[in-house]
Amino acid sequence: MDVKSLNPIIAATDSVFQTMISVKPEKGNVSIQEELVTDKEANVIIGMTGDIKGSIVYSFSKDMALKVVEAMSGMEMKELDKFVTSAMGELGNIISGKATTGLAEQDLICDIAPPQIVTGKDINISSESDKVLMVKFNTDLGEFDVGFSIK
Amino acid sequence: MIWKDEYKIGVELVDDQHRELFKRLGDFIQTVRSDKEESKKKIEVEKTLNFMGEYVVTHFDAEEALQKKYNYPGFENHHQIHEDFKAEVAEFQQEYRENKFDEDFVMEFSGRLLTWLINHVASTDQDIGEHINSIQEKEEESK
Repeated sequence: MDVKSLNPIIAATDSVFQTMISVKPEKGNVSIQEELVTDKEANVIIGMTGDIKGSIVYSFSKDMALKVVEAMSGMEMKELDKFVTSAMGELGNIISGKATTGLAEQDLICDIAPPQIVTGKDINISSESDKVLMVKFNTDLGEFDVGFSIK
Repeated sequence: MIWKDEYKIGVELVDDQHRELFKRLGDFIQTVRSDKEESKKKIEVEKTLNFMGEYVVTHFDAEEALQKKYNYPGFENHHQIHEDFKAEVAEFQQEYRENKFDEDFVMEFSGRLLTWLINHVASTDQDIGEHINSIQEKEEESK
């Protein structure tokens, strides 16, 4: 698995957060895992088909998801309700769409599926993948993970 | 409030309309998220949804006219994005009327709408501003 394919996802994450929420994500550790397990409660899964088959998973703590939607709406959010998860799902969709443009520049032509939302604690998002590349990000609004699992 | 000055594209007409659009979007979302009694809320959701939907059309038309005036090279693509979005809002309006009041359905739609519109204005529309401003600068220079 080529770690280079992770770069467009990192770049898209960085750009979308800065443009839409005026928040600069600081990239932390990149790790390779056997499976995608997350301790974060708000997870957005974007399926990918084409030259890369797999999925991108954005995992936010409840607190961070609420803060992101508060920053966008200017309204107070208290729960991971359908409004919050749907707004975060669209955010994952936008980042992933931008990432596919970056992947196309590496001659990797990919399509993405509509976002799926999984909420809860200590979730194992099984994806029959070989390996999962995980990037941690830190922002003023909290920490989040982006996982890229490739079949 | 949803509007932020960082979302400006540097074209006054468009920025003013974006501000108004975000105001109507905010009214709609606030109504969707309010604790009002169901029958009252249903009417108000529909009212704010239509009020916003009307303005989406007004604004898209004005913005596209401006794109044409300045021969914006991304016109066709941008026009298609607008058409798809208008169709999606119209479809939702119809489904909403048929479904009477489905809380989850409205919450899901409005959450996605919020993120979509911010991205459209803060990112997709920025190219239009750059294009129009570069032409205006050239016109100023040649005067």
